[in-house]
Amino acid sequence: MIGAIRSELTRLTQPRHLLTWFGLMALFAAMVNTIMVTFVSGGGSLPPGAPGVAFPTLAQMESPSGLMSGLAAASSMFGVVTLSFWALATATDYSSGLIRLLVAAEPRRWRLLAAKVVALALVTAVATTVASIVNVLVVMPAAGAAGIATTAWGTDLLNVVASAWLHLYVAVCVWGVIGLAIATLARSAAVAISVGVGYLLVVESMVKMLKDVPSDWLLGTTLGAVASGGTSAVSFGAALTLALGYAAFGLVAAGVVYIRRDVTD
Amino acid sequence: MAIITTTGLTRRFGPITALDGLTLDLPTAGVIGLVGPNGSGKSTLIRILLGLIRPTEGAATVLGLPITNPAEYAARVGVLIESPAFVPGLSARANLVSLARLRGLPLARVDAVLTQVGLNGRDGEPVKRFSLGMKQRLGIAAALLSDPELLILDEPTNGLDPAGIVEIRELLRDLGRNGRTVVVSSHQLSEIEAVCDHLVVIRFGKLVFSGPMAEMLKRTREHIDIAPEHAGDTDRLAAALTEDGWAVAVVDDVLRVTASISRSADLNRAATAAGVTLRRLELAQDNLEEIFLEMTGRTDGELASGRAAANGTVAA
Repeated sequence: MIGAIRSELTRLTQPRHLLTWFGLMALFAAMVNTIMVTFVSGGGSLPPGAPGVAFPTLAQMESPSGLMSGLAAASSMFGVVTLSFWALATATDYSSGLIRLLVAAEPRRWRLLAAKVVALALVTAVATTVASIVNVLVVMPAAGAAGIATTAWGTDLLNVVASAWLHLYVAVCVWGVIGLAIATLARSAAVAISVGVGYLLVVESMVKMLKDVPSDWLLGTTLGAVASGGTSAVSFGAALTLALGYAAFGLVAAGVVYIRRDVTD
Repeated sequence: MAIITTTGLTRRFGPITALDGLTLDLPTAGVIGLVGPNGSGKSTLIRILLGLIRPTEGAATVLGLPITNPAEYAARVGVLIESPAFVPGLSARANLVSLARLRGLPLARVDAVLTQVGLNGRDGEPVKRFSLGMKQRLGIAAALLSDPELLILDEPTNGLDPAGIVEIRELLRDLGRNGRTVVVSSHQLSEIEAVCDHLVVIRFGKLVFSGPMAEMLKRTREHIDIAPEHAGDTDRLAAALTEDGWAVAVVDDVLRVTASISRSADLNRAATAAGVTLRRLELAQDNLEEIFLEMTGRTDGELASGRAAANGTVAA
């Protein structure tokens, strides 16, 4: 199993691939933090149900957890980036024909899939760390320049940073599992990314606009709540349970298809 | 012991029967050619043996082990299936390292196979910069990585230049002579004839021939190709010879007479008696390609009709 994970890591560590992945995570961290600080310091707020991001209030920003609030604000964007790269790593095995070689070398397909999930989760940990570092590097000078009080940010620093990192990491890993599952079903990264982005930006936003329909259970909302460590509408425990349910469903669906389907191309 | 056995192996894809009750035994050691027209079931057979797809009916063994659990023999089998597939952004070495790690092999094997296929010195380049021939070499290197007892290679010389073809041909012969079994699926019948000790011919998912190459080549027939001095005499000469009892076919303005070389003088006399002077009289013999075409059908139209008949439908 260790060999299968190392094999998958070797394939994942293409410099251009990693640079794009980490670069996008850094870009979104920088972008969302800059916009967030501008909005919050100006007293502005996003309309309810706005897709992709959710900004804190000024009081939340000035609290100890305000330092890392950009991670939760951009969690959907990080999620889409992660979904895309998990989908790419999965679908490329099919489109390149590499899946034939892999299954012939390791016919226990569950091992291949498990190794892929573990390897992608390891790279995602690095990507989450990159986003966290950029978040801190951008939000501190931006908040200072915007006049947001940052004196509380040093309180319980390690706990704040670690929990924000962990919450985001869990959330984006579930996004990744969804990407892997769709890519396994569709055998296409393009389809998986389109479905993921389309769902978040279109379907989920439309459902949220329907006032009579509860939206707390939706994937983006749930994972946003996990990344935020819970919200006023959904507790962290409930969000985490539901998120793990989504992940388990995705993994089981991907596993059944991956293991049982003929490798014909 | 047979290295591969199949018993009533059948695989259907919807209405198409790709393998139709295939039963065969392939001998251990040597180079075995697996040939058949497009859609004959070669790739389906290989995929079933490797655990990529499951049969609809029937059973098979590889290295004496049932295909229901390919993990038991996967480490002893090396494969090149269709076109070589690698991660294009990674170097040749990194691609092989990835496969070596998956198979739990020492990384020293990577250097060994790179040398074996002549890719040393280019191993640091990304695979996307490789020519088709170099990718083919890398594919063979990947197949050799586990130093397997059984190699299954699909079109191994595809894209190679003439020198590369000779090199790979020698490599396959050496592997076959050194106690390994190499199954080569190819459309290059001259390659198969040059390299293989044993031949399997499949058509419409059924076995047409399985036996030593020498036995197949015994089926060759001798011909005498003749051409009249004036092309306008071709039809007249063909008619005269046919009337005289010779088996004659016109192939591109040449008369192909099915007869042994010992009758060439008789043939010359018969042509003279018909008032035709020959400008060419030449012995010809069927090669593997001729026998293969005779067995499997000469044209796409013949194949389509045969396929339709095999599937119980009417060809368009």
